[in-house]
Amino acid sequence: MLKTLMLAAALIVPAAAAPVVGEAAPAFSGKDTRGETVSLADFAGKTVILEWTNNGCPYVRKHYGAGNMQKTQEAAAADGAVWLTIVSSHEGKQGYVTPAEADALTAERGAKPTDVILDTDQSIARAYEARTTPHMFVIDGEGKLVYAGAIDDKPTADPKDIETANNLVLAALDDLKNGRPVATPESEPYGCAVKY
Amino acid sequence: MRHALALIAALGFTAPALADSTVKTDNVEARLVSESTSVAPGGTVTVALRLQIREHWHTYWSYAGDSGEATTVEWTLPQGVTAGPLQFPYPHRIEVPPLVNFGYEGTVLHLTDIQIPASARPGDTIALKGDAVWLVCAEVCIPEEGVLTLDLPVAAEAGAPDPAVAAEFAAARAAMPTASPWPATASVNGKTLTISLDAPELAKAGLEKAVLFPAAGGYIKNAAPQTVETSSGALTIATETGRRFATPAKAAEVKSVPAVLVATGADGVTHAFTLDAPVTGAPPGAAVDGEGGLSVWTAILFAFLGGLILNLMPCVFPVLSMKALALAKKGGDTRAARAGGLAYTAGVVISFVAIAGVLIALRASGEQVAWGFQLQSPIVVAGLALLFFVIGLNLMGVFEVGGRVQNIGSGLGKGDGVTASFLTGVLAALVAAPCTAPFMAGAVGAAISQPAAIALAIFAALGFGMAAPYLALTFSPALIRLMPKPGTWMVRLKQVLAFPMFGSAAWLLWVLVIQAGPNVLALVLTAFILAGFGLWLWGLAQRGEAGLKTKILAGLTAIPVIAAVAMARPAPPSGLVHEAYSPARLDELLKEGKPVFVNLTAAWCVTCLVNEEVALSGQGLADAFAKSGVTYLKGDWTNRDPDITRLLEQHGRAGVPLYLFYAAGKTEPVVLPQLLTEGIVIDAISGS
Repeated sequence: MLKTLMLAAALIVPAAAAPVVGEAAPAFSGKDTRGETVSLADFAGKTVILEWTNNGCPYVRKHYGAGNMQKTQEAAAADGAVWLTIVSSHEGKQGYVTPAEADALTAERGAKPTDVILDTDQSIARAYEARTTPHMFVIDGEGKLVYAGAIDDKPTADPKDIETANNLVLAALDDLKNGRPVATPESEPYGCAVKY
Repeated sequence: MRHALALIAALGFTAPALADSTVKTDNVEARLVSESTSVAPGGTVTVALRLQIREHWHTYWSYAGDSGEATTVEWTLPQGVTAGPLQFPYPHRIEVPPLVNFGYEGTVLHLTDIQIPASARPGDTIALKGDAVWLVCAEVCIPEEGVLTLDLPVAAEAGAPDPAVAAEFAAARAAMPTASPWPATASVNGKTLTISLDAPELAKAGLEKAVLFPAAGGYIKNAAPQTVETSSGALTIATETGRRFATPAKAAEVKSVPAVLVATGADGVTHAFTLDAPVTGAPPGAAVDGEGGLSVWTAILFAFLGGLILNLMPCVFPVLSMKALALAKKGGDTRAARAGGLAYTAGVVISFVAIAGVLIALRASGEQVAWGFQLQSPIVVAGLALLFFVIGLNLMGVFEVGGRVQNIGSGLGKGDGVTASFLTGVLAALVAAPCTAPFMAGAVGAAISQPAAIALAIFAALGFGMAAPYLALTFSPALIRLMPKPGTWMVRLKQVLAFPMFGSAAWLLWVLVIQAGPNVLALVLTAFILAGFGLWLWGLAQRGEAGLKTKILAGLTAIPVIAAVAMARPAPPSGLVHEAYSPARLDELLKEGKPVFVNLTAAWCVTCLVNEEVALSGQGLADAFAKSGVTYLKGDWTNRDPDITRLLEQHGRAGVPLYLFYAAGKTEPVVLPQLLTEGIVIDAISGS
């Protein structure tokens, strides 16, 4: 009896852990550009895509400049998925944006995220060990992390490579939609460093 | 832009000997350089892509690390001319906490071997054209490129090496990793990856520094510190595993770890070696003291021995003694004794396996737990303290468990029934838990990081070791006959054995004060008094000196007792006396090049407290710290702390204590022994 209590006590204490593909995605909450709190828990039952971004990064510009990121966002929206764009640059570091600047960027590049989160304390970036911009994560309706890595398999800054690249986020969404396990659940993210 | 550059290059140079183009961008000056002044038909010439990088900016290695992109060259070559792969000299760690990149600052030469066809004719010119693309970063990153050209005159004989560039080519060649002459293996223990090189020459020659660069992502956590040790002819580097090892299933797919080891000898000369270390089960040559983890069989053996020793623990010995004495009293009935012995063994082993199962499940779900985790909850500590107190009262004879007062020597060891024996086994395993933490750290550390089946086997061995003496007793009538004859001395012994129990309870209360503060102590002590009162009433009723009403009243006291224990919650943390350990603070100090001493401890870790008393409180050490400007960081693991758990794991530890010393300007710590003296610490500091 006491042992049961003891084990139960050990079970109820939460702890931070590195994200593992195939396991529960780390919970998070942050403030969007309207100052409202957005949590992963808000989207239970829905596929959620996390996109780390930094408007000054050439790799981000590669995908937004060529319309690739917007195209991926539209495809996700068509599937009913939630797309959260996350800016984790520390205040004063390159890539930091105010809410107004973030909204202006979204409008300017015709981006279609569900929401933009300003992770100025880097808590979400640390929970996901986000390394690059872009760095992509796909979480299924059950809250399981099913993809982590790069937007595609051509790790360059050259927009010409988009045409021949395999978009790994679209591939993961397609697998989810068709009830298949994600064929490529992990890849090495590429881009500029997240400015912690 | 690319075309414009090509055009300029084409117009500007009309092929004098070794004509080349230099591309200057904002951050890099790029050029192709030939090692020889001319080439011969059928010969090979080495050409370098030389990047002179703006101060504080960097370009990248073939594996760029946490972010970035490797430099590439796309060649356009005349018919028959072929280029080998672009070569990457060993990189440097470029820290951008919490991330790290692998690359180059200053000037870097990427060599490429160019093969000239036999059909080339002396007097011809071979025009090389390379479209080089590099990413150059400081805080921001800029992808740059340049079309570089180089004209090589063909001569009948190969030209002499160009003396103007001989030195930098020699340096570039020396910086190229070569295949490691020593066999390497990789092993994973929890979240620690250890690469071991059987390199007696390297170990003997003395090593100033060694850094491991993974050849691709996901093998290690790039930014994690690396612990380098040389001992008995082996060089080991331990660091945190990457995503490829995140689960046992994923880890099983990793056959080897490809990497480049950059080693600087005591002579200051740096060599880089490529290695592809096959992944083996456990670290070879694992030390008994838990320094590098244990091999599976050693761990099982030590678990068994540890289990044996547990019988002597103050928490366990009284319980076991009562059980043994009850057996002695029964004497001849060996069949029942054997059944009881087996049931007791089953109780102990199943309890240990159950604890292990929960531990493994918690870790699999990503919880940061390690051995001793049970003691991190004040409720558990308070509950165990109360349990010890109650057992003590029982041994004192205040009350009996379910039996009649005439049954001298029964109490906890009461009953020859199989169920009673099984429950005694469960109780023994439960009360043993607080005693295991300091003694079992090595075996338990190895156990919980192993695949589940092995981990369970190790815990089963621990339980079996603990049950073994009693089991042996039940199976050997000869041994039973050796036991002293029952008598009133047994009552006295039983009462004496209550004191180790009270001692254990006192120790746990002390832990509780540190965890949860004095108010919780008051609460729990009240629970002690109530429990004592209730059990005394119960005892009266058991002896027929009081009636049913007393019994009910005794039962009612249980309610406030349980409530008090359940309310044992830690108070909000008070101001810290020491500078508290945090990864960020450590990083900051290391970045400033300051020496740092890290002490990871917990109030329930006896070894830690002894060390703090003996080695870490004297004036001599305080003076030594002040003289060397050492910052003392203390990580308190009395309550759960994932950051501390991570640091422990990086050094292959499943529990405290752990003492690390980072010498000034070093990012790799020296791991100090688990049994400290002031001299050891002062030597470590002054030796830096």
